[in-house]
Amino acid sequence: MPGCPPELNAFLSGPVAQGRRVPASAAEEEVVALFDELRVPLLRYLSGFPLALPDSEDVIQEAFLALFQSLRQGKFHHNVRGWLFRAAHNLALKRKRSQSRNGPNAPASRGTEDSAIDPGPNPEDQFAFQQTQKRLASVIAALPEQYRYCLYLRAEGLRYREIAEVLDISLGSVSLYLERSLAHIARVSER
Amino acid sequence: MQSEESHLADQELLLAVDGELSPREAERVESHLAACWACRVRKQEMETAIGEFVRFERQSSDMRIPASDGPRALLKAQLAQQAEAERASWLVWPRPVSWRFGWALAAALAMATVTAFIYRSYFVYRHYFERHPTHSMAVTVPDPSLTPGATVLLSERELCRETGANNKAVPVALQRRVFDEYGIRSAEPRAYEVDYLITPALGGADDIHNLWPESSSATVWNAKVKDALEDHLRNLVCEGDLDLATAQHEIATNWIEAYKKYFHTDRPVAALRY
Repeated sequence: MPGCPPELNAFLSGPVAQGRRVPASAAEEEVVALFDELRVPLLRYLSGFPLALPDSEDVIQEAFLALFQSLRQGKFHHNVRGWLFRAAHNLALKRKRSQSRNGPNAPASRGTEDSAIDPGPNPEDQFAFQQTQKRLASVIAALPEQYRYCLYLRAEGLRYREIAEVLDISLGSVSLYLERSLAHIARVSER
Repeated sequence: MQSEESHLADQELLLAVDGELSPREAERVESHLAACWACRVRKQEMETAIGEFVRFERQSSDMRIPASDGPRALLKAQLAQQAEAERASWLVWPRPVSWRFGWALAAALAMATVTAFIYRSYFVYRHYFERHPTHSMAVTVPDPSLTPGATVLLSERELCRETGANNKAVPVALQRRVFDEYGIRSAEPRAYEVDYLITPALGGADDIHNLWPESSSATVWNAKVKDALEDHLRNLVCEGDLDLATAQHEIATNWIEAYKKYFHTDRPVAALRY
């Protein structure tokens, strides 16, 4: 998959990777480097919840602060990328739950319908492209949550085992959900 | 030609596409695909669907994601704050406390009690003024840990082509969140104006990290003065006399200092004061 991040723990180096309590400055440096690397993939993943952009940014800040805290406590994560996706996933669920408890908020705008612009050469192509994007958006929005999470996580380059860990489901469920989601998407492409 | 039963299952095909099969299984699937047109077509359809989804996902989210400068600065500030709090909590009880140190310990405890009392008084005082903002809180410069500034990805050419970005209204829900962040719970509607730190006319983003409650009661360094600075910086950027990133950085760091620097004055121009 193009643009997929490198294999898992490549981000961590030095004392952090060795799993011992590290000075704040070293942990801070590592956490900021990871933030630079993973902020955009995490934002893309959270857009599939869907969560509004400011909420997603907040969730990501919280996830990285939690990582910093756990690194300072000398906890070792064999797969930091997976850990961060899992932390962001759980925090986003929590936020969604509290938002639904506090009454209906402004819906998280995906911005797909209006912003998608195809590099197509003529207006007909552009129109067709926009129609496909709209259909895709509605098909994806109608998928069961777990199916959607699997799709977005896979698109960010996570392997099936990592997806299973993030969502706390079996490997078999991951492949089943992905297969069914892709079948729905394929039907849109066929039209 | 293969029989129906011998065709590969969709899940098997997907696992093969995603490289999730064991080498032995992968080899079996490959040799089947080499012989079976139908399964090859299904595999291709699956890859097309993957392509469609990835294209959709990137298209729908990447365009809306603002630059990372603001969130990065916020994270760094929060990490520093957390590290500081951690350092402060490292109060370890000394194991062998001899009577010689008894007096020193008692003195330290007394000091700590006095400090706690002063801190508590300050907290109560601050809390009071937060609840009664018209009494004192004149926010003329934003708190950098809450409002470090955030920008959208725009070239100077794109920015200067756009007109009217300056008049963008801040949604009410977002305004409420800004007041919450700043601890302003009972502000009178006209006591504050939620303003962009980096104006959209200079590529500022519609992001909570780029918004702050500007006090309407400020008489010297007020919103009009800031507007004048924003117009001036935009002109400089669009005339090619100033780099956009520098303009954004200067206004985000301290807009009052930026005003002094670019207008070569220590006080705002008289006409802009209330």
